Amino acid sequence: MIAFFVAVTTGVLSGFGVGGGTLLLLYLVSVAGVEQTTAQGINLLFFLPAALLAIPSHKKNGYLDPTIIRPAVVGGMVFAVVGAVLAHWLDQELLRQLWGGFLIGVGVLTLFR
Amino acid sequence: MQGEASEISKTPLFTHKSPHFSHTKREWGDFVYFLFGALAGGLNGLFGGGGGAILVPLLLSIGHLEERKAFATSVGVMLPISAISAVIYFLNGSVSVGEALPYVLGGAIGGILGGKWFSKANPVWLRRGFAILLIVSGVRSFL
Repeated sequence: MIAFFVAVTTGVLSGFGVGGGTLLLLYLVSVAGVEQTTAQGINLLFFLPAALLAIPSHKKNGYLDPTIIRPAVVGGMVFAVVGAVLAHWLDQELLRQLWGGFLIGVGVLTLFR
Repeated sequence: MQGEASEISKTPLFTHKSPHFSHTKREWGDFVYFLFGALAGGLNGLFGGGGGAILVPLLLSIGHLEERKAFATSVGVMLPISAISAVIYFLNGSVSVGEALPYVLGGAIGGILGGKWFSKANPVWLRRGFAILLIVSGVRSFL
């Protein structure tokens, strides 16, 4: 039940595109004690309905730019597979630390750009 | 040339609608977004999330997108990319449908609400909140 409510809250943020998945990953690993790659898999599955159901509203409001989405998705598909395979090949603890470093880097970039 | 550069500096760099760009520049734009997608997709697959965290700042700073468009467009890009990464996680046996089910259901409801409330959200607050969320999350993951 707690899992469900956490997912609703982070789902709102995911629909916004504001890092709901980041928060959910943190909950899964730090609070629920789920293993890193399992948490990552759950997070990916969780994002699918959240994004799918947020998109009609975004489209209606004219916030989606298909001229960006098309080339970005083409570029993303191959590397999405590479990244996912790499995640299963790397040491779990290293993966968690890389993730932490990645978050801090992007956060600082966003805040002080 | 110089005057032209300052004139276009406020318009989105790679928008197809922009009258300032020739066909060649448009193709450059496609290539840049291809690279953005590749970077965000690779990291999103590696970390099981966070692709939007790199894509949104790129769309804001290099693509010069308006805040709401950057966030929403990022959701549109990350959906198919996350789906294909999820397949790999599933095939590797990292995650089962049963484990993910409560999160998937909650995510569905959250997504609907997020889409509806998005227009009322404040972009500046969104960006700052997002940045703080990332930094706090990052620091906590080392603790």
